Amino acid sequence: MDQLSALLHMSPATLWMAFKVLLVFAGPLTLAALMTWVERRGSAMIQDRIGPNRAALFGKWRLLGLPQLAADGIKAFMKEDLVPPHAHKFLFWLTPILAFLPAALGFAVIPFGQSFQSGGQTYHLSLLDPGNGMGMLYPLAIGATAVYGVLVAAWSSNNKWAILGGMRASAQMVSYELGMSLAVISIFMTTGGYDPHQIIAAQNGMWNVGPQFVGFLVFFTCMFAETNRLPFDFAEGESEIVAGYFTEFGSMKFALMYLSEFIHLVTASALIVTLYFGGWRVPFVGNPGVLLSVAAFLGKTLFFCWVFVWVRWTLPRFRYDQLMKMGWKVMLPLSLANFLFHAFLMFRRG
Amino acid sequence: MFLIFALITLVGALLMFRLKNLITAGLSLVLCFIGIAGLFVLLGNPVAAALQIIVYSGAIVVLVLFVIMLLASHEEENPEKPRSIQRWGSAVTVSALGVGAIWIVKNSKILASPTTPNVDPMTLNRLGASLFRDHLVGFEIAGLLLLAAMIAAVSLVKREL
Repeated sequence: MDQLSALLHMSPATLWMAFKVLLVFAGPLTLAALMTWVERRGSAMIQDRIGPNRAALFGKWRLLGLPQLAADGIKAFMKEDLVPPHAHKFLFWLTPILAFLPAALGFAVIPFGQSFQSGGQTYHLSLLDPGNGMGMLYPLAIGATAVYGVLVAAWSSNNKWAILGGMRASAQMVSYELGMSLAVISIFMTTGGYDPHQIIAAQNGMWNVGPQFVGFLVFFTCMFAETNRLPFDFAEGESEIVAGYFTEFGSMKFALMYLSEFIHLVTASALIVTLYFGGWRVPFVGNPGVLLSVAAFLGKTLFFCWVFVWVRWTLPRFRYDQLMKMGWKVMLPLSLANFLFHAFLMFRRG
Repeated sequence: MFLIFALITLVGALLMFRLKNLITAGLSLVLCFIGIAGLFVLLGNPVAAALQIIVYSGAIVVLVLFVIMLLASHEEENPEKPRSIQRWGSAVTVSALGVGAIWIVKNSKILASPTTPNVDPMTLNRLGASLFRDHLVGFEIAGLLLLAAMIAAVSLVKREL
């Protein structure tokens, strides 16, 4: 690390920061692109179909349909960029950015591996170092701004279906945020800190999913609602409101919004892993080292990404009133009860 | 860094009351809030920044935009007759407040003898301690007021319970 930074005339800290920015931006983006493939192949597998298998590199290598990703990207770039005549031009142009930015920013605080020391300096494997004071509040704040992508998309396209879809999606995101935040707060309480590094350090020996199983259930369910995935995908509905809030979006604008949904999925999985499944910890290994810890984190995150796909193609969707009832009358009280229960336990222990 | 966030805040605030379209005005308000959150981070209070974004831009403005979208008109209505006394009165009040704020900053004792500021950032633990230990009465009264407002709103909307 020191030699490389001397070669580039940079301080090791700067080089490490640049490397991390690149990694944290490109990593979830790559995973999200791969997830679009996993989603299609996975759905095909679950429904006993074949899935995308026609795209081939140089007309020869099909590679299980993986070239489909490149084909989709090229197609999205080549298509005509259409703006509907009655749309609000500026906001319509701004929307894909508003949808993409929160998705890309959310990962910044999550530690994706064990911190290591080199040349007398400690390097942390998360974009924001511990002790930044923001901690796990950061992904909550970024997630709270994600709703603007939906709202602005809905309003700027000047379309009834878009408005209906956007209203449903944003109401759902705002309602489920409460239950989710309360579940996270009970983790803050039992950990005694809210920095993700602290939360992972506190999960030595016992992952949070054991003592906080109710909180995990609430958080996991709310993540489906926050990412607008089935069984809560009320943002769209082909038979009633077409594609919902992005009905009017085409070409690369649509591709960005579609991709940001999958980045949200990756970030949500990473959050679940960090909060409830010990982050980069490996069972029965106290000090896994950099490579093993990153591999463990990646493995757990990919597993939860797969669970999101799995659930989507297994469960039927809810009705909208059922969704709202569940958010306010089941998830919120459950999360509150979990919080009070853990507060009581801590009070008894003194 | 300060100038960037101050400019974001000011541009957001100016756009918010210059734009006629209520939705774009609401979005400019969000821009203003994000600028304020950046200023909070510069002041060594990332917790306030996070709460600013979670509560104000994440919940309150979303609900405001929601209500505006449900209304038929998204444009500000023109007043029935222009009232110049309102305009002049507000200009005088705002300039008096501005002069007062500048006067207070100019005469503050901290500015006269600048000391090295307390650099360790605000944490959630310290915030909780100050809310529930030092300012408990104020906190509880605020909670009671919010509860009363909520019950009043529910009883206004739901005529027959």
